[in-house]
Amino acid sequence: MMYIVVLGFYLLFIVWSSVKSLKNAESISDFTTGGHRMGLLLGIGTTTATWVSVASVLGVPGYLYSSGVAAIIGWVAGWCLGGALIPLVAYKIRRPETPVRTFPEFIHLRYEPFKKNSPLRMIVGILMTIGYFLLVHIQVVGFGIVFETITGIDYKIAIFAFLVFLLFTSIGGFWSVAATDTLNTVLIVIGVVLGSGAVLAATGGLQNIVDTLSTTTAPTIAGGPPLEKGILLTPLGTFSLSALISIFISNSLGSPASPHWVTRMLAPKNIKVAILQIMGTIGVLLFIMGPLIILGLGAKALLPSLPAGKTTDYIVPLIIQDYAPPLVGAMTLVALCAAAVSTANSMLLTAGTTLYYDVFLGIFPKKVSDKDFNKTLRLIIFVMGFLAVVSAIKPPWFLAMGFVYVYGGFGAAFFLAVFLGLYWKRMNAAGAYAGILIGSIGYVVSKALGASNPFLIAAGISLIGVILAVYMSKKPPIEAYEPYFEEKVSKSTDRVLTNVINRSEGA
Amino acid sequence: MVTALMIWLGTMIFSFVLGTYLCFKIEKSGVKRWGATGRIFKYK
Repeated sequence: MMYIVVLGFYLLFIVWSSVKSLKNAESISDFTTGGHRMGLLLGIGTTTATWVSVASVLGVPGYLYSSGVAAIIGWVAGWCLGGALIPLVAYKIRRPETPVRTFPEFIHLRYEPFKKNSPLRMIVGILMTIGYFLLVHIQVVGFGIVFETITGIDYKIAIFAFLVFLLFTSIGGFWSVAATDTLNTVLIVIGVVLGSGAVLAATGGLQNIVDTLSTTTAPTIAGGPPLEKGILLTPLGTFSLSALISIFISNSLGSPASPHWVTRMLAPKNIKVAILQIMGTIGVLLFIMGPLIILGLGAKALLPSLPAGKTTDYIVPLIIQDYAPPLVGAMTLVALCAAAVSTANSMLLTAGTTLYYDVFLGIFPKKVSDKDFNKTLRLIIFVMGFLAVVSAIKPPWFLAMGFVYVYGGFGAAFFLAVFLGLYWKRMNAAGAYAGILIGSIGYVVSKALGASNPFLIAAGISLIGVILAVYMSKKPPIEAYEPYFEEKVSKSTDRVLTNVINRSEGA
Repeated sequence: MVTALMIWLGTMIFSFVLGTYLCFKIEKSGVKRWGATGRIFKYK
């Protein structure tokens, strides 16, 4: 009962903050990037909530439970290094006086500035839509697991409740997402700190957890093979060296090139706010990841093996239900729901904007008013959310590993196009086509062939392809790179910038 | 366990060092539009 009451209050707040934020979403820029005027505190709130997804709150404790402290290296440290690199993107991408609004728009401006409709922009848009659909699907699965635990409703029905949260958090566009995200961050911190406190109390403290981990041989799933004694405390855990490197690199190099992080760097007021926003977020994450580590490792001491039929993604809801007092349990589980909702709404906003603004309006160019743009985008976001829910009826992946695959794919496809585009004047359209196509296809093929490190293989061959393509083709025009290298741009560059950014505006 | 926690700590320290360096570069540029305020961690 307590769980449902707390969840009800959470829903009421979501409705209130979303309706309030609706007033702020008036123009296309407002809806997509908050009009490039977001302050530091709201920025830290929304960045933290987007960062902390179900892969963090359910998946990582699940891997800590089954594979040991190696999950800290693969996911927690991997994401942290990825976060550390994001300011390098912000430092360049916010330089222009009028910044772009979407990731594909950046690709258009940087590589095909003279084309009215850029094919590369559409390719990027399609790849992004696929990737974000998969990431939203993962959030829905996590939401379903937690909602099932809170309400007792069967998972297959519980996931449809996600649409109610989605409806309210996404209709107001960026400001609605940012406002609800900030509350979600507060909830997540309180929830995981309380939850980890309950686990510490139930286990008798950190030393008892470490003692259990050093001696346990209990299988992860009841009836499964026993673990090697002490393996959960070794740096590699149950992973092979190559698998752990693959996870670490996919998370760390995939994150800064992921389009939603690039887009997030377009929202703050200026470059310095964007950089401080990431530094602040990494500080706040200490208070989320630390408790999650205690939850995942402590779970092994409380519940040595999961019941057959449950995946490790269920471990946190299971121990919270059994070992936390009702109010603490309710706060923790609502925090897990908040993590799913806050990441999914940002990703749906990014995916919906890309599908409509970059792909649809690229194929069927027309001028649209701000009002029509916002109305259509809301509809697209809701339809994509509905499809993600339907696709999650039978979940195929472990949550944290699903993130690794998609981040690995984003990194393989976009890392070179983003970083070389921002830091190397010679990088041109041929290089970008080579990097994006070879990287994405190479990643899918090497993954399908069972390579242990598909990201490194794809990124390696893509780098060779980029260098060959760049030196075998003409230098880029000054209009392509000037906005990211100079404080003041020439008149011709300014004209090109305006043309690309105003492509679909002003009915 | 210590190794894993030290690697995480190392990435956090790297993040703060890199962020501080970039803020320093913005101050050195003096461009107000980019966020230069005269003090390294001050923002507007």
